[in-house]
Formats: sequence, structure tokens, C-alpha cells
Amino acid sequence: MKNMTEQRTPRRKATESASKIPAMVKGTLADTHRAKEEGKPIAYSFICCGYDEIIRAMDIIPVWTENYAGVCAAKRDASRFLEKAEAGNFSRSLCTYATCGLGFDLFREELGEMPPNSPWGGQVKPDVMLGSGQMLCDPRYKWYQAAQQYMPDVPVFVNNAFWPPYESDIDYREVIDHYVKYMTEELRGLVNFLEKHTGQKMDWDRLCELVDLTDRTWTLIWDTYELRKAVPTPMDTGDAMNTMVPIAFMMATQQCYDFFKDLYDELQYRIDNKMGVVPEEKYRFMWGGGLPSWFALSDFNYFWSKGAVFPVETTYRIVETMAALDIPEVSDPLEHIAWRFITNFTRWYDQARKRPGSHPDVERLIQYIEDYKIDGIVMHEAFSCRSWHPGLIWQLNTLKKIYKPIPVLRLGQDGKTKEHYREIPSLVLESDIVDISSYSEADTHQRIDAFIATVDAVKNR
Amino acid sequence: MKEYFAGVDIGSTMTKVVIINETILASVVGPTGPEHRKLANRVMEEALNKLSLPFSDITYIVATGYGRVNVPFADKQITEISCHARGVANLIPTARTVIDIGGQDCKGIKLSNGKAVDFAMNDKCAAGTGRFLEVIAEALGVELEEMAELSLKAKKAAEISNTCTVFAELEVVSKLAEGVPLEELVAGLHEAIATRIYGMVSRLKIEKDVVVTGGGAKNIGLVKAMEAKIGYPVLKPEDPLLTGALGAALLGKDMVKQAIEKGVPVARSERQLREATFFS
Repeated sequence: MKNMTEQRTPRRKATESASKIPAMVKGTLADTHRAKEEGKPIAYSFICCGYDEIIRAMDIIPVWTENYAGVCAAKRDASRFLEKAEAGNFSRSLCTYATCGLGFDLFREELGEMPPNSPWGGQVKPDVMLGSGQMLCDPRYKWYQAAQQYMPDVPVFVNNAFWPPYESDIDYREVIDHYVKYMTEELRGLVNFLEKHTGQKMDWDRLCELVDLTDRTWTLIWDTYELRKAVPTPMDTGDAMNTMVPIAFMMATQQCYDFFKDLYDELQYRIDNKMGVVPEEKYRFMWGGGLPSWFALSDFNYFWSKGAVFPVETTYRIVETMAALDIPEVSDPLEHIAWRFITNFTRWYDQARKRPGSHPDVERLIQYIEDYKIDGIVMHEAFSCRSWHPGLIWQLNTLKKIYKPIPVLRLGQDGKTKEHYREIPSLVLESDIVDISSYSEADTHQRIDAFIATVDAVKNR
Repeated sequence: MKEYFAGVDIGSTMTKVVIINETILASVVGPTGPEHRKLANRVMEEALNKLSLPFSDITYIVATGYGRVNVPFADKQITEISCHARGVANLIPTARTVIDIGGQDCKGIKLSNGKAVDFAMNDKCAAGTGRFLEVIAEALGVELEEMAELSLKAKKAAEISNTCTVFAELEVVSKLAEGVPLEELVAGLHEAIATRIYGMVSRLKIEKDVVVTGGGAKNIGLVKAMEAKIGYPVLKPEDPLLTGALGAALLGKDMVKQAIEKGVPVARSERQLREATFFS
């Protein structure tokens, strides 16, 4: 894929903090190689599973397999691993994070060493693999089990982390205790598994410190991102697709906290000096869901060239301010983690119940539209991400039905103009997270141009 | 002195030029195809020749369509969504939904007050486009132009389960070998395309009047299949290929008028009537 790599256009970033991220990712990967050499236990891990503090407190080094697939995609060097997985009989319609990772594992285990020129040194073989059964994503349950055929000696633990499903006529508080209790026991099982298979012992005092650090980091991240409400916005989703790295892959570390402290200061400085993402901010869009095409993040620059910025996104905004979460005082750090994880999902339930026909995910969109003065919503439907993307279209359709904030004049059949309220315009981009063969730059830019023309038509009414 | 405005719609298959003042004065349609795509200027020259107009007499030129980028003889580029909307609204003011079936893409446009307020486009696939029919026509050994009339003779439509162009080609050839009448196959193909287009455009709320444009609108069999899907008759402009170019010319005229009203200069490019470079 040398040619594709050569074709890659470096993406401009608005903030200095975001520019530091590639080096941080590279450094984190280098740490895993060093840890392997030093004989430290390595765990294949997924983001957003609630076990960050546990592995950090036990000095287990995470290898974030979704992140590595994203790195391969961003380096435009994923195709050979996808092809390897396909040769291993995995369907092309599976999650391409998973097939990229499985293809890489197959390649590495066949060779007995890293595949040649692996992006940023490659993904080291783990000692344990920590899957997760949850409503967010089904490959997290099966991916590592499938990887065991290449690494039969590496044990898998599937950490279940469920939250109460939303029901408009049921108060989630009636059942939340059961979910918290279940997840707490799952996390306790994970600690036991890790102690047994890695020989590491849980340092419970250290865990309490990291739980506190994580609470403070969540609130700091929330406060930092809230600064993006400013007009012009000092940072947009293009950069947030970089600053998601400390959120997703460095949680429960001082490095993550310090990164966001610096970013907070930088954004405040940019606001004070009216430094926007683009010279003239004409359109404010929300990235309303879907993982990005990691090989085409420069599309954000294309939006910028049209004066369009993204002050907010739902993707990777996976933390909340602690004040918004209804967490009781508990002495068990595992129980606290479970409460924080679950209430982060139930946080929008009460708001949704107040609006007929609504849903927590849609309420979140509405809240962001209003808070961030949004003109349009852009989503990305990645063909290989089955668990998320069908829901995106449903969210947009529900939003269209229940929320029409834009007053426009419209010519009726009788020839008279009437006031009419229309929905926020939306654009659904279609491609993939890793598989570049699904992407057409010309087609994507064509859609972006057309979308901006429609937003213009609505705005200039 | 009369003012002239031109719209150039460089689609994937055809290049269309319309020159207007108060009405349409001239229109020309020429192929875009791989060897012709650089020659959009020739289509413009032909339109100018029809009116015996020098290039410099055109007040403003707007380019649209897939190949609108880097057209050296245009003052401005505008998306085909906006241009089709403007063109259709001018010709059929009651239009609320536009379905444009082009050579290699298909789009739905929602209109309000003559402007596009929402749109949907097909994904990166030939199904639901003119190219699909071209490929199948070749496989069946019939002329593309014959397909419309052929399908109207069918007593029923054959079931075509594949809308992937490659698989559909195999499917129709094997059905032909099984003895399925040609007209039923063609009717089935129209139905398959109409189903795909209808599914895509239904992302917008389809409202009356529905106007079908593009090369697909010239295929009466396909239009009938679309009507069956939508449930009521659709309208089509007299020349459905020209709505994008007409809209481009009208938008250019609007822009000049607005600039004059505001007392600001019209933003023009240093245009030259020479070959387009296309995505250079």
C-alpha cells in the first residue's frame, strides 16, 4: 500500500494540543513494546468498558486494538491486514477494526514476528485479552474469542457491562441497582482473572486514587469541551478526533489529566483572542454520530475550506461532568466505577421521558443543537459498523419528527406564504472506518458541497 | 444591450449548455465520456455558434455537475443540487420533489420556495442509474433507446433480484436463456431500478409534485415504474436533460441581479474558453 500512503494528505489541526497526539500515540505503542521486552503483562483491551482504572492499578499494559486498527487506517496501511483476514475466511462485512486486528494477529503469528513495516512498530502479542459484552458493540464480545485461534494460549475474559435499556414508561431507578450490582461483580471477576493469569496483585489504595483521578478527569474534559460553545469555536471535531486519544486510551493516568488541563488553557486563550478554527465561521455543524473514516480525516479540512466547523460531536464524547451523574457515596471503588459507567448512559433518560416520542440519544442531539448553536448535523454511516449505524438513521428520523426549530416561509398550494417549521438539515456520509476501498473523495466532497448549499438555502430564508 | 447568461452542466455522461436572457435562447447536449471530458468547451462553442455570439458577450457563466471543478470558462461553480432545484422550480413551480436519474448517479432533492432544502444521493454504485441500463442493454443485445418501448409491451415484469450491475447482468442473461421474454426482463429491470431509486429518495419525504429529470426521465418504461412505486403520476420537463444547466444559468443571472441591487461588483473569474483540466 505504499502508493496509498504516499497519497495521504497531512491534516491541518486548529490546536497545538491536538498536534501533539500522533507523538503520544506513537509513544504509547512504543511503551507496549518496551513493556513486552521487560516482561510486563500485556492486555488486549477495548475502550469504554469501565476497566481502565483496574488495569492501571494492577500495572497491566493495555494494547488498544481498536486504536491500532485506526492507526493502520490513518496510515493508509490497513488493506494488507484486511486482506489477510479475508484469506482467513472472515467476511468483509464484519467490523473492520476487528478484521484489521485479526488479520494483523494472523500475520504476526504466522511469521513469528511483526509483519514487515508494521505501522509504528506493530501490535505486540498479549498475555490476556479483555473482551466486553455490552450493548455498545457486538464485536467486543467475539473478536478476542476469534483471535484465540491464532493465540490459543492467551486467555480471554469477557467483562459484561450492561445498563438499563430506555423505556419511556419506566423510571430506570427502579432497576438500576441490579445493573450496578451485576457490573460490580463482573469487575470483581475481572480482578480475580487478572490476578490469576498475570500474577499481578490489585493495589486497592492505588485503585481508589485512580478512581478519584478519573472522576476529576471526566469533569475537566467536560469543562474543556464546553468551551467550544464559543463563537467562533476555538476547536472542532477535526481536532476532537485526535483529542479522543487521551480520553479513550489514557484514562486513569496523570498524563490524560494534564493533557486536558493544557487544552483547557489553550482553548481559553483562543477564545480570549477570538481565534476561531477558520477565519470566517459561516456554518456550525454537529458530528452527530458514527466513527470517522480514519484515512480521510482531511475531509474536516474540506469543511473548513467552506467556512464550516464542528463545535461539538457525540462520537467519543464518552465522559460527563460528575455533577450531572447521580452517583451515591459508596466505599467500594468497583461499585463506584459501575455507577459512573451506567449513569453516564442513563443521564439523558429523564429528559427524554418529558418529550413524547423522544429517546435519550435524540435528547442529547437536541441539547447540543441548542447549546452549540448548530446549523446542521453530519453523521457517518460506516458500512462495517453494524451495531451503531442503523441507530444513527433512526435517531435522525426521530429528530426530524419531534424537533423542528427553524421557522421558514413556504408557498402553499393556494399561492399564499405560510410559516412552516422545518428540521435541522442533515448529511449522512457513507464509507468505512478502516476499509479505504469504500471511500470516494470526489463523491464525499460532492455531498458536502450539496449539503452546504441546502444549509445555505435554509439559513438565508 | 441584451445580457446573456450561460449554464454548463458537466455530468458523468453528457455535457449540457444552456444560454438564456429572458428565455432559453440555445441549448446543446454533447457527450462527456472519457475521451470527450476535456472538450466541454466545444459544447459551449456550439451553443455560442447557434446564436452567433462571441464568448465575451456572455455576462456570467456558472458551471455545475460532477465535472464542474476547474472549468476554465466559468465564473463560478455551484452544486448540481442547487442548480437542478433552481432549474426545475423555474420550469415547474409546483415541484416539491425532484428525482434526477443521471448517467452515473441518482439524486433526490426536496424543494421549498424554489430552493433545495434537503437531498439524498445514491451510494458509490451504478445500480439505480443510467449506466446500469447501458450495461444490461449491451448484455441483452438491444439498443438503450429501445428499452423503454420494449418494457411497455410486457404483460408482466420479470423478477430481478440483483441490483448489483455485475450480478444483474448475469441474472438477466441466464433468465433469457431460460426463455423469459425480453420485454418482461426489461420491464423487470426498470422495476428493480425504480425500487432502488424509490428507496433512496424516500429518505426525504416525497411530496407532490414530483418531477423526474436526467436521462432516466426520457425512458418512459422507467418513469412508469417510478410512478407505480410512488403511487401517482410524476411530471417531467420538456427536455429533462437540461434542468441543471438551466438552473446554473438562472442562478448566475440571480447573482448578477443581486450584486447590481446591492451596488457591489460581480465576482468574476479570468475565464478562458479552453479545455477543462478536471481535478488537476
